[in-house]
Amino acid sequence: MSKNTKAPKALRGVGNYIDDRFHLAKAGEKNLRKVFPNHWSFMLGEIALYSFIILLISGVFLTLWFKPSMAEVIYDGSYERLQGVPMSEAYASTLFIDFEVRGGFLVRQIHHWAALIFVAALVVHMLRVFFTGAFRKPREINWLIGVAIFAIAVVEGLFGYSLPDDLPSGMGVRVLQGVMLAIPLVGSYISMFLFGGEFPGEDIIPRLYMLHILALPALLLGLIVAHFMILWHQKHTQYPGTGRTEKTVVGTPMFPAFAVKAGGFFFFTFAVIALLSAFVQINPIHLFGPFTPTSITSGLQPDWYLGFMEGALRIFPNWFDFSIGGYPIIIGVLIPGLGIMGLLFGALAAWPFLEQWITGDKRVHNVADRPRNAPVRTGLGVAGIVFYGVLWMAGSNDILSETFSISLYTTTYILRTLLIVGPILGFIIAKRICLGLQRRDKETLEHGYESGIIQQLPSGEFIEVHKASSEETEHVLKSKPPVTSTALTEPEVDDKGVENPEARKGRGRFRRALAHWYTKDNVSLDGVRAHNGHHAHDSAEAEKEEVAH
Amino acid sequence: MKWITARRRHPLAGYVVVILALALFGVGYAALAPTADQAQAQTLAADVPSPDDADVLKGRDIFNQTCASCHNYDGSGSFGDDDEEFTRGPDIRGAGAAAIDFQVSTGRMPSMDPDNQMPRKPMAMSEEELADLIAYYNESIRTGGADIPYDVPDTAPERADFEDEESYEDAVEEWQAEYEAYIGGAEDTDMGMRLYLANCAHCHGWSGGGGALTDGRWAPEIHDASAREIYEAMVTGPGAMPMFSDSVIQPEEKQELISYVKTLQAEPNAGGIFDLNRIGQVAEGLISWVVGLALIIACAIWITAKQRAHD
Repeated sequence: MSKNTKAPKALRGVGNYIDDRFHLAKAGEKNLRKVFPNHWSFMLGEIALYSFIILLISGVFLTLWFKPSMAEVIYDGSYERLQGVPMSEAYASTLFIDFEVRGGFLVRQIHHWAALIFVAALVVHMLRVFFTGAFRKPREINWLIGVAIFAIAVVEGLFGYSLPDDLPSGMGVRVLQGVMLAIPLVGSYISMFLFGGEFPGEDIIPRLYMLHILALPALLLGLIVAHFMILWHQKHTQYPGTGRTEKTVVGTPMFPAFAVKAGGFFFFTFAVIALLSAFVQINPIHLFGPFTPTSITSGLQPDWYLGFMEGALRIFPNWFDFSIGGYPIIIGVLIPGLGIMGLLFGALAAWPFLEQWITGDKRVHNVADRPRNAPVRTGLGVAGIVFYGVLWMAGSNDILSETFSISLYTTTYILRTLLIVGPILGFIIAKRICLGLQRRDKETLEHGYESGIIQQLPSGEFIEVHKASSEETEHVLKSKPPVTSTALTEPEVDDKGVENPEARKGRGRFRRALAHWYTKDNVSLDGVRAHNGHHAHDSAEAEKEEVAH
Repeated sequence: MKWITARRRHPLAGYVVVILALALFGVGYAALAPTADQAQAQTLAADVPSPDDADVLKGRDIFNQTCASCHNYDGSGSFGDDDEEFTRGPDIRGAGAAAIDFQVSTGRMPSMDPDNQMPRKPMAMSEEELADLIAYYNESIRTGGADIPYDVPDTAPERADFEDEESYEDAVEEWQAEYEAYIGGAEDTDMGMRLYLANCAHCHGWSGGGGALTDGRWAPEIHDASAREIYEAMVTGPGAMPMFSDSVIQPEEKQELISYVKTLQAEPNAGGIFDLNRIGQVAEGLISWVVGLALIIACAIWITAKQRAHD
C-alpha cells in the first residue's frame, strides 16, 4: 500500500469530524501501533479477561429472571419431579431459568463454566508472572492489583455458588458461617450481622445477591481496568532475545495483527466455554433439590478454587483447640479457614517486596527472567504450588478415597505428611532442575549444540560434531543475569575501619543470611566465551583455535 | 506398506500412531469389558418362587454347606480360633429373613473374607435356592427380626430363567406394573427428599453414588439395588449402616424415600450428555482445567507460534 492511498471520502469525513473534536488521531495512532510480544504465555491473562466478559454478559442475562428471595413458595413449574415441593423463590426462579427460559439452561451453564475457567486462567496467568519475575519493579503495584483480583474472584465465586439456594449452596454457606463463628469474640456477632439473625434466616440470599452482582463485580471491573491501563502504560515484559532490551519491545503491532489475534482468541475462548456448557452438565441444581437446614450429603465440594480451603479444613487436626473460661477457641477451624487463606494471599502480596529486600535490586526490569535463572524463586514457587495442590487434593479426599479404594483415614495421614514434606521436596527438586538447566545452557553456550553427526578422526577416535548455536540462542543464553544481592557486596567495615551498622544489627544479619541463601548455587557465566569449547570441531573458528594450539 | 513407509517421518506421524493406539485400546477395552447390561443381567434375580413351595430340606443343605462354617449350624455364630472377641460370623438368629434376603441377593453373603466389608456381587445361588434357604431359616433358626417386604418390588425378571419368550414377557410386564405402582404410589417428593437428605445422603451421597466412611469402610452406591433391597437394608441395618425400623420410618415414608432415590436415578441429565457420573464439583474442576483451560491455552500456543530458527 502506498502512502498516497486515501480512505474513502465518507470515512474520511467521519474521521475528521471525530478528530476535530477529540484529537484522537495521534493517540489512536500511538496506541494502535503498540507492540505486543508474541508468546503464548502472554495470552493467559487474556483468557481471564475474556471469561470475565463472558461472565458479565451471561450474568446480566440471568439477572433478568432470578429472584433473590428466600420467601417460601410451592413449586408448580414445568419440572415435574419437584412439583408441589416447598422451596425458596431463589431456587424456584433458578428452575424457571433452567426449564422455562429459552436458552436459560445453557446460559446458566456458560456462566458457571466461565467462572471456573476465569479463576483457573487467573491462576496460570499469575504463575507465569511469578516465575518470569514480571512482578519486579516497575510492576509491583500491578501485581498487588492482580492478587486483589484473585482474592475477590474467589469470594465472588463462592457467593455466586450460594445464590440458587440448592443443596450445595446451602452447605457452602453453612461452611462459611462455621468459619465466621470460629473467629474469637466477634465471630457470632459477624454471623448474626451477615445473616440478619440465626442461620439461614431470610436475609442471606438478597445480601449475597447484592454483593455478587453489584459490589464485587464493580470492584473487579475497576481493578481489571486499572490492571489493564497500567499494563498498557508500562507495556509487557518480554523474554530475552535479539533486539529485546529493557528499553525496546519486540512483537506484533496492536493493529491489525494483534487485534485480529486477540479477537479470534476471544471467540475461541467463548467457543470452548460454550461447547463445555452444551455437552457437560455442571452444577445440576434441579437434581440436587432445594436446601433445607436438615439436609446434608457426602461427596459434595465447593467449586475448585475453594478446594484448598475445604482441604485445609478437612485435614487440619483439632489438637490445638482450647477454651478460655468456657469460651472455646476453635484453632482447628480458624487456622485452615482463615489462616491458610491469609497465608496464600499474604505471601503472594508480600513476595515482590521481600525479594527486593533480599536482593536490594531497585532496577527497572522489562526483560523477563527465564525461570531457571532464578532458581530460589522458582523453587519457592514450586513449593507453593505443591502446598496448594496438596490442600486442594485434600478437599476431595472422600472422592479420592472412594474412587481409588483408599481408606479415608489413610488419605488424611498421607496428605498431612505430604503437606509438610511435599513443598520441601518440591523446592529442592525444582531448584536442582533449574541449576541443571543452567549448567546445560552454559555448556551449549560454550560448545554449541549436538548436531547428531558422528565423525571418525584419523586416530580412530569417534567424536560427535557440535555446531554453533544460532545468534538468537546465543543471545538468550548470554543474557542470563547474575543473581546477586547488595547485602553481600556491602563491605562489613567502611574505609575508616568502622563496622557497618546495618550489618551488625539482627535485621541486617538476617538479610545477609537470606541473601546468601538466595544467591548461592548459581552457575556463573563469568569467563565463558561463546563457542570456545573443546568439542566445536565444525566451525572455522574452532579450526583456527586448533591451529593456534 | 509403501504408503506408510513413505509417510512415517511426517511431522504428524507420531500423533497418528498415538491416536491409533489409544483408539485401539479404547475400542478393545469397550469390546472386552463387561457392559452394564451384562453386569446387571448377572445380578438380576429371576422368576421368584413363592415362599410356599420352597423346599426346607434343600434349604438345610444349602445352609449347612454355605453358611454354617461361620454362622454355626444353629445360626448362633462362631468365633475365630485366636481371639474370642472377634466373631468369624455373627449370631444371625435374630437378624430376620429380610437380612438373609438382602445379604444373599446382593451377593455379599456367602463372604469370602469375613474381616472385610463385602462389595455388591452377583448372587452366589439361584432365586430358588435362596427361597429354600429362607424357608429353612424361618422354620429352624429364626427367633426374631424383620420379615421380607414381599409387597416391595424386587429386581426385574431375567430372560434366562424362563423357558419361552412369552412367559418372560408376561413376567416383565407384571413386574413393571408392580414397580410403577410402587414408585408411582409415592406422591410426596418433598417428604422423600427430606428423609433421604437427612438420613441417607451423608453416607450414600445426594445421588446415591456412595461415599467414603471412616475406618476404611465405604457406603456402597445404591443404583443397582432394587427397591426391596433398599427397604431390607433400612430395616436390617447391614454393616455400618444404622437400622431404620418401620416404627422409625413408616413403610409409607420408606416408599416415598425409595421412590425419591429411584426417580432421581432415572432422571435424565438435562445439562448435557456428559453427566460426569454426577460426582459434581471435583469432576467439574478437573474438566475445567484439563479440557477447558488446556484447550484454550493450546489455542494460544497455536496463534502465537512462529517458525523457529533452527538451532
